[in-house]
Amino acid sequence: MGRSVAVVGCGQTNHSRRRTDVTQVGLAREAAQRALADADLTMEDIDSVIIATGPVLFAAVNQPDKWIVDALGAQGKPVVRVTSGGGTGLAGALAGVNQIAAGTHERVLVVAYDKLSEGALQYSISTLYDPFWGREFAVGIMGFSASYWRSRIKPLGHTEEAAAMVAVKNRKNAMLNPYAHVKKEVSVDDVMNSRYLCSPIKLLDVPPISDGACAVVLSSESAAKNSPDPAWIRGMAYMAEAENAIRRSMRQSEPLTLAAAKVYKQAGITNPRRQCDVVEVQEPYTCFELSYYEGLGLTREGGAAELIASGATQIDGDIPVNPSGGCAGANPIGAAALIRLAEVVQQVRGRAGDHQIPGAKVGLCQAGGGWANLRGVSVVSAQKN
Amino acid sequence: MGLLVDYDEPQMMAATLTMPYTLTTGPAAGTFLAELANNRIVGTRIVSTGRVIVPPEDYPGGMSDVETEFVEVPQTGAVTTFTRTVNGVVALIRLDGADTDLLHRVVGDTAGLAAGDRVAASWHTGSVDELASPFLQLAGFAATADGTTGEVTPLSGPAEAIAELPYSMKLDYEHSYGPYYGRMFDELASARRIVGSKCPKCLNVLVPARGNCDACFVPTGQLMDVADTGTILGFSVIHLEFLGQKRKPPYVYAEINLDGTATRLIHNVGGFDITKAEELLDIGSRVRAVWKDVSPGSGTLDDIEYFEPIDLPSSGA
Repeated sequence: MGRSVAVVGCGQTNHSRRRTDVTQVGLAREAAQRALADADLTMEDIDSVIIATGPVLFAAVNQPDKWIVDALGAQGKPVVRVTSGGGTGLAGALAGVNQIAAGTHERVLVVAYDKLSEGALQYSISTLYDPFWGREFAVGIMGFSASYWRSRIKPLGHTEEAAAMVAVKNRKNAMLNPYAHVKKEVSVDDVMNSRYLCSPIKLLDVPPISDGACAVVLSSESAAKNSPDPAWIRGMAYMAEAENAIRRSMRQSEPLTLAAAKVYKQAGITNPRRQCDVVEVQEPYTCFELSYYEGLGLTREGGAAELIASGATQIDGDIPVNPSGGCAGANPIGAAALIRLAEVVQQVRGRAGDHQIPGAKVGLCQAGGGWANLRGVSVVSAQKN
Repeated sequence: MGLLVDYDEPQMMAATLTMPYTLTTGPAAGTFLAELANNRIVGTRIVSTGRVIVPPEDYPGGMSDVETEFVEVPQTGAVTTFTRTVNGVVALIRLDGADTDLLHRVVGDTAGLAAGDRVAASWHTGSVDELASPFLQLAGFAATADGTTGEVTPLSGPAEAIAELPYSMKLDYEHSYGPYYGRMFDELASARRIVGSKCPKCLNVLVPARGNCDACFVPTGQLMDVADTGTILGFSVIHLEFLGQKRKPPYVYAEINLDGTATRLIHNVGGFDITKAEELLDIGSRVRAVWKDVSPGSGTLDDIEYFEPIDLPSSGA
């Protein structure tokens, strides 16, 4: 991986269905200020900035990085915008990690955000599809997600009840997260009785639409020497598969499997369930979390329903998944993947607050980008190696 | 029936996205826009330095939280620089007492306009409702012979900020089909058939037709007729309604593997009692294309009305 990279500060906005008090740059700045405060650094200490957001159609401003430079006081610094659909936040982090690992920068501020209240979300997302081929049938990412989930129900046992348990867990965990804005516990019956949006996906399987931002400060080892509690990036990868892939599996995400294998090798993980203390996944629909249990190797293929039913992924289980509440608590898409990273970082730094997993030392996070075809994974730990 | 297209000409598909937005203005731009309705121009003054920024900004101190105040800026100034466009003169204007330039139009007689010329604000006089944006309440700046220089003053009784602003973008595109898509959609329109391409290495048939196999990355070369029957790999009954949706829910979205191909086609399944879709359809259900009764077709996947189930259980269509 080149030089060691640490995360020395994290910040999130108070996410909301609609933040009317700030523009999109105000949102990004709020997270950046909190990350710098958490790192006990100022903008003077930052020598590179990565801005990560979703498609510009989400909020109607092309090249928003140009606008944000002023509000961040980033003029005169290298500023690069990264966008890669839903997993954008982790793609942005990877760009920053590579800058430090390669030795070109010492401290990188990664800021990820989306202000989804401003535009027509499903319409914007539907433009991810080829304009010639299938866009007229697109239902955001919900249509294909539902369709893929259905193909997993019989062979893998990813039942609607199992997904409902994910909704119950994540919404309960979100109650402990001060940044989440969906704060309502639900029961399995509530989820099962909620109406179908795209069957088998039901209303309570679906995350909110949110305005929000997240920022992290990445640091080289030498620049992190004054940090009392750096979290070390032990591995990070972001993988793609072909858009109209030949014989694409409807059961497992191939790029996720590839990313996990690469990251586990980098991090020396041979048994993720035993070696990781906490996991954050970018669901956003409950059916995805079940799929990711298998893709990340937390259980065997077809073991996801059993895993959620066993309680192992609850906040007090042996492999807690989404103690923050995940996307069910807040889902500002461009920031969502960076939030997953920031959450596991704060866990291994012991700064996760009310949803802290006691003694967490190794954290695993996953990001989902594009529609089906981009997936990222990272492992962080309190120990450098 | 022959193909409809002259392949010596580049083939394009016109597409339009019409996207509505509700923008959050933030306190500075929101106050600026609200005060334009009172024919006042607002700026931000940084208290410590006296620097005046027009239009105002929320974060003139970057990441530092500097103390700022709203000020009323004079309606007179000088042209810093300008350009003539087909839609008139656009200029950077330095209002008196300001430290930044405001971009706006110069209206009226601009024949002899020169950098340094004095200008004064020109206000829209009709109803605000007829404006495309509240910004256009300030219609522009016109040359003035009055050489009096105005002064920046504290903003008395600022109007409540306009917090949200409706906005829309209509985006017109012309997408190039390229040779494979062009031929494929032409075949849909003219011959009611689906065309794929075959990889000479892995022998998979790929739909939509493409120039390279994405598994082997070798040129495909050979176009193939593909069956309009297939198998459902996944499906969903869509109840969700959203802006820009082309079909009225409920309807069935499906990923279909056409017989003999190695790829997925996204389309709708119809022609049966949709309310029973959950019972009647399954992974592996067989479907066939129902073509629209128009000739020639539109040259899109819409030339297929939907895929209908084959051999439904007796409770079906």
